[in-house]
Amino acid sequence: MMKEYFTDLEEGIQGAIRGGNSSPKKFYTLELARLGRRLYSGTDAIAWCGITAPFDLLNAMGVTSCFVEFIGAMLASTGVVGSFIEETDHTGYSSDACSYHRSVSGAAIKGMMPVPEFLIGTTNPCSGGLAVLENLACRFGKELFVLHIPQNDSAGNVRFLADQMREMVAFVSRITGRKLDNDLLRKTVENSNRACGIMREIFALARHVPSPAASRDLSNFGIVMALFLGGEQAVAIAGAYRDEFRRRIDAGDYGKSGGKFRLLWIQNRIQFRHGLEKMLEEEYGTSIIVDELNDITWDDIDPENPYDGFARRSISIPFNGTMARRVEHLKKLAREYRIDGAVNPCNWGCRQGTGARGLIENGLKEIGVPVLNLEVDCVDSRKFTEGQFRTRLEAFMEMLATRPPLWR
Amino acid sequence: MNRNKGVIGFACAYTPLPLIHAAGFQPYRVLPNVDCPDQAGHLLHDNLCPHVKRVLDRAMSGLLPDLKGMVFMNSCDSMRRLYDAWKAARVGRNVVLVDLPAVATDSSIKFFRDELEGLSRTLERWDGAVIDEASLAGSIGLYNRISALFTELRGKANRSALKGDSAKLQEAYNRASISSPEDCIDFLEALLKEDADIQQGEAGVPVYLFGNMLPEPEAFALFESCGARIVSDDLCTGSRLFSAIETGGGDMLLNLARGILERPACARTFSAERPGSLGDDVAAAAKKTGARGVIGYTAKFCDPYIARLPGVRESLKREGIPLLLLEGDCTLRSIGQHKTRIQAFVEMMR
Repeated sequence: MMKEYFTDLEEGIQGAIRGGNSSPKKFYTLELARLGRRLYSGTDAIAWCGITAPFDLLNAMGVTSCFVEFIGAMLASTGVVGSFIEETDHTGYSSDACSYHRSVSGAAIKGMMPVPEFLIGTTNPCSGGLAVLENLACRFGKELFVLHIPQNDSAGNVRFLADQMREMVAFVSRITGRKLDNDLLRKTVENSNRACGIMREIFALARHVPSPAASRDLSNFGIVMALFLGGEQAVAIAGAYRDEFRRRIDAGDYGKSGGKFRLLWIQNRIQFRHGLEKMLEEEYGTSIIVDELNDITWDDIDPENPYDGFARRSISIPFNGTMARRVEHLKKLAREYRIDGAVNPCNWGCRQGTGARGLIENGLKEIGVPVLNLEVDCVDSRKFTEGQFRTRLEAFMEMLATRPPLWR
Repeated sequence: MNRNKGVIGFACAYTPLPLIHAAGFQPYRVLPNVDCPDQAGHLLHDNLCPHVKRVLDRAMSGLLPDLKGMVFMNSCDSMRRLYDAWKAARVGRNVVLVDLPAVATDSSIKFFRDELEGLSRTLERWDGAVIDEASLAGSIGLYNRISALFTELRGKANRSALKGDSAKLQEAYNRASISSPEDCIDFLEALLKEDADIQQGEAGVPVYLFGNMLPEPEAFALFESCGARIVSDDLCTGSRLFSAIETGGGDMLLNLARGILERPACARTFSAERPGSLGDDVAAAAKKTGARGVIGYTAKFCDPYIARLPGVRESLKREGIPLLLLEGDCTLRSIGQHKTRIQAFVEMMR
């Protein structure tokens, strides 16, 4: 089912692009489809990973790697997630857990997750994600390597994580029989740096007033682009977005995004189809112009000595470390993008992200940015009550309309 | 050495108590079973583990001793968020988060050793004594003595020779977690000397208890009133906190790090070489203790256990050992609701 889905998606988008209907989002979705097809091809060496694994390093070793939450998001977007979540719940898994992880577990139980060569667990961002990788390793009977992501980038912590990544390379080589080619690694790192450099340009353009970014343009962008890093496709996707945003600014073509209010979306998007973003844009002239993870929080990686850079990158992800650090990052985004308000979807079951929502709300309030906390399961559409969310968002819009402009 | 440098709070069974003691402080566990208003929701989401929320409730209500500082372990997402919220609730007070690897490899043990060294510097900054090898070895020795005394006490409870049975044992765990090790040794020795109180009548059904937070002695009394006899436990608020640390020789911080990471694990620590082994470990422990059934008691919203409980259920099913899973909120408010289920479980095993 999944292989056919991704194959059909790929062919459909290719057809659209050939027919002249292309956009950056289509290039991005095309690569997603290709990744999905490779994962389900039955021929690629694949690895299921945690979110902060060094995907470019794994790409350089010829491994098609992906974080498991990607599958949960895919199942949600295709509208079939319910039966997979139920499958997990039937094993005794509590419905209080994260639905990304429950859906992935259900997919594995139902034989819908391809068997990997190995798994790479990461302690960041969450305990639940690491636990799911342990469970998958047990179910598939495959070896698991755990990367402990330290809480800050002290010299000792960077060295510790860099050494773990070197150990990971030896682990991957032992299992796949493939050695890491240093020339290829250097090229991979250079590609990662190029893609990240262009992504910085994209984010800088998105800050323009009015913003060229519409609500759906960059949804899931930062977190998913990590999967493509190291390859030319990441550079191509980023380039397409940059060029399109430049074109929109030059042409004054802001479409739905030239709106009244500029929103910051905290954590992850709602992954299934819903009408809230459309409502915000069409009824309130309001766009989500930045997501929390749409940022490059690390410096370029040294191609000659990449491990320290890989380590710093994993440590720098905003979900890692203390909430004070995360709040500072959100404040930085709010200032840079001249944000009017923030929406925190408070994904049910997400302890690391949603847990300290009060601290996030208080932190952004310090700089005058109001936060709307929604109680939503971002994956399980069965629990979604759109009418109630519309009411909350409408009230939030009305509240923003009564406030004096925050940024002059 | 000055042994009156104050009290250091902690909230996790992975806390290196000997290190805190070696710095001249008395470790004090901020247990969740204190009655105070629910306020944690101001800072934390309701879907966070009730242990964390109850500990924060205590902090927000001021129901704490005069703490010189608070040591948190990076054991799970909820504990990390508790650290964040604690800082917001007690602005300007001493607090530290110690990183804790999820697996016990040689490199992660070395990393944890360095974290402990960092903690010892922090404790010094909080006016603690300079910790040397001898003082740390001495403190580890005291805690190992406590571990040995608890082993004896569990044996006494197993022979039904402990007044108050497992509820009394839990009281001892609770008291030990808020006392200095010297006081703890005194009262444990006294408890062991108390006259036997061999009970007459039908013996309870032997049950192995595992999970995380269950500090209420009343809960243990409830198990026993339902006909269960707790023959052994593996709980954060029970035996796990006081497992022995092998000292041997060499670097004491490394010994302490190894001892803590390799002690019987809560679900947040696992072996990458044996993924999913928690279930087999629980089954093996239950069989070793002669238990006829297993009760799992976990705090609601605990992700590490939520993810592993289906595996535990499978392992016990393979071994033909009945399992009862209970979820709690670190209060006794709903404990009565469990009574019927426990009674039925015990009845099934008779």
